[in-house]
Amino acid sequence: MLKASLCALALAIGGATGFPALAAVRIVATTSDLAALATAVGGDLVSVETIVPAAGDPEAFEPRPGDVDKIRRAEILVRVGLGYDSWLDKLLVRAGNARVMRGQAGYVDGSVGIPLLEVRGRSVVNEDGHSHGAANPHYWLDPHNAVIVTGGIAEALIRRLPEQQDRILANRAQFVNAVGERLPAWTAQAPSRAGAKFIAYHNSWPYFARRFRLDVIDFIEPKPGIAPSPAHLARLVSHGRQAQVRAVLHEPYEPVESSRFVADKLGIPVVVLATSVGSLPGTDDYFALIELNLKLLAKALGGSP
Amino acid sequence: MTAADALTFLLLPFAACVAFVLIHSYFGVHVLRRNVIFADLALAQLSALGATIAFAIGYAPNSLAGFSYAFVFTVIGAALLTLTRRVERFISKEAFVGILYVAATAATVLVIDRSPQGAEHVKKMLIGNILTVDVTDVTKLAVLYAAIAICHWLARRPLLAVSGEAASAGRSAVAVSLWDFFFFVSFGLVVTSSVATAGVLLVFSFLIVPAVIGSMFAHDLRPVLLIAWSVGILASAIGLAGSLVLDLPTGAAMVTTFALVLVPAGLAKALLFVSAEQARRNRATAVRAAVASLLAIIFASSCWLIANPQADQPLLAMFEHATGLGPARFLKASDRATYESADRDTMRFETEVERLNTRERVARYDGSPLADDEVRRVGSYQRTFNEMAQGERFVQQVLRGRARERERWLVGLPFALLSLLGLGIVARPLWRHRVRSS
Repeated sequence: MLKASLCALALAIGGATGFPALAAVRIVATTSDLAALATAVGGDLVSVETIVPAAGDPEAFEPRPGDVDKIRRAEILVRVGLGYDSWLDKLLVRAGNARVMRGQAGYVDGSVGIPLLEVRGRSVVNEDGHSHGAANPHYWLDPHNAVIVTGGIAEALIRRLPEQQDRILANRAQFVNAVGERLPAWTAQAPSRAGAKFIAYHNSWPYFARRFRLDVIDFIEPKPGIAPSPAHLARLVSHGRQAQVRAVLHEPYEPVESSRFVADKLGIPVVVLATSVGSLPGTDDYFALIELNLKLLAKALGGSP
Repeated sequence: MTAADALTFLLLPFAACVAFVLIHSYFGVHVLRRNVIFADLALAQLSALGATIAFAIGYAPNSLAGFSYAFVFTVIGAALLTLTRRVERFISKEAFVGILYVAATAATVLVIDRSPQGAEHVKKMLIGNILTVDVTDVTKLAVLYAAIAICHWLARRPLLAVSGEAASAGRSAVAVSLWDFFFFVSFGLVVTSSVATAGVLLVFSFLIVPAVIGSMFAHDLRPVLLIAWSVGILASAIGLAGSLVLDLPTGAAMVTTFALVLVPAGLAKALLFVSAEQARRNRATAVRAAVASLLAIIFASSCWLIANPQADQPLLAMFEHATGLGPARFLKASDRATYESADRDTMRFETEVERLNTRERVARYDGSPLADDEVRRVGSYQRTFNEMAQGERFVQQVLRGRARERERWLVGLPFALLSLLGLGIVARPLWRHRVRSS
């Protein structure tokens, strides 16, 4: 495994020295996670910009004029899709950049090919004022899905730079290998974690839970922006006590009071997990994001590895 | 969940509400007399701006530095509000306060843009979290409010005079400004602490509604306050209980309750606190007005049914829902069968989607995990069932439209004529009255 990735690295470096310097391809990603994956695939062939600030709430994002400019100059656009970043559609129309319009060579919808969870209808409609349109959109929190997303990005990049195909494929292979190397350790990390029950503030964790075998039994905020009712909180507490919930999972950008309240009643910790690359200190790339989350979880579950 | 379990949830929030009502009703009376209704929002928003800036610089939200920033901005807000009296000749008080509020809010958004974590603050301010107060919160609030209440009791004479009509009578302009400043600083402290806990909407209700009701029935501060306090505490209790029983978000339920309390208060004022003769006349007017509005709504709804039977018919739908008399009875037998089977199928498809969801969810942590392809298959089944359920709903919608086409004349026309007739009867005395008086 290590050898393979070293080979890939050598290939990448070899590629880099074998060609004259090129102007970097401008990639714009809606979230920092997609930006991290695009960087992994593109290496120094690309310059990557992000639209939503790393620590912000992408479902409640308000674009600004600079974002139109970013898209206007973009050669490749990578989005989460599934209605999660639906504000992008208006921005695309405004920018009028034909290269990155839906269906064009520079348009990458990261959700293509992902085994989706909690699928609703085909129509991307914000049914309950929530940006979860066609299915739950938090798919990048499963490393397997990250691999799928890098495939889409690599395709688009090869369309743009056909002569760099080998280098791009090597970069991607390196990422895929790195995931493959880490995944057994990640999934084996904590037997105490298997089947551990959690309450989450928001429904951000189905893909993460599937990969790392967690049971998120309920959510604190039934609909975004609406405070939980006392009956709902009481239900959470009694439900949580019965199920022996181990921790409350919380997003960094949400008010913490309700989570802390439920956690205190149950005598369990609140674990603030990173939902995106850069949303907590020490999550500067994709691997750091997953590693930090697993470490935080292990700590909350009593440190037993 | 037992009822007792849920009740213990509401004890602390209720204690906090009582503390809020006691101090806010008092400030509410002042605010009403000063005619600066939205000053609380402006002050709270300025203090939030301070807290957000502190956060953006890197201080923890509940640190001393964070509080100091918030307090400094509150003092600035108090100083600006003190100016209202000076600029009143050029710009109306309410306009000035409103501008202050929107400017502070916009500035907060700009600061947050630079430090996205701060968004939490703004969200919290809007929604509040009255439900999750703990013992230390309530103790802090009680101590702070008691201290402010003592200061205000000691200075009650000048403060009341300054808030009243004849503000400057016998006082120098500087003295009036100083008292104004003292008032707004203490007010700022109160709303800053309460908005962080209860949210802007609820704080506004605590402030204004009890004071309005109190001022309806009395003029001197003492009776006004006694009425306001009783009404406020009662409304808080009803709101909290309502949110528990009906499973509603607490803050919004309480705000609605406070607003609704105005109705019985207004009725009491019109019917009980007037002479017998006046009460009789008011009662007649109230009944007539209620009947007339009901008839007017029925008339409008019937006309709407006749004009556009395919459109949404909210009143008719409400009636159908309440009585269980669905549109099915206006359909042909075959159509009715289709309508009813569509209903059953929608339910069946939705159950199926739910079953698949549960299956996939359980497989996340229990037994052998589902492979990606199995997850994809589950997803495509769910999508199909969702589409089919949507199709059935569409069938129902078309059939409902067909039924409404028939109801158009069978139901719409008689109701329109009857309600019009009723309206005529109700309005006749008013008409006659007007003719006589002209």
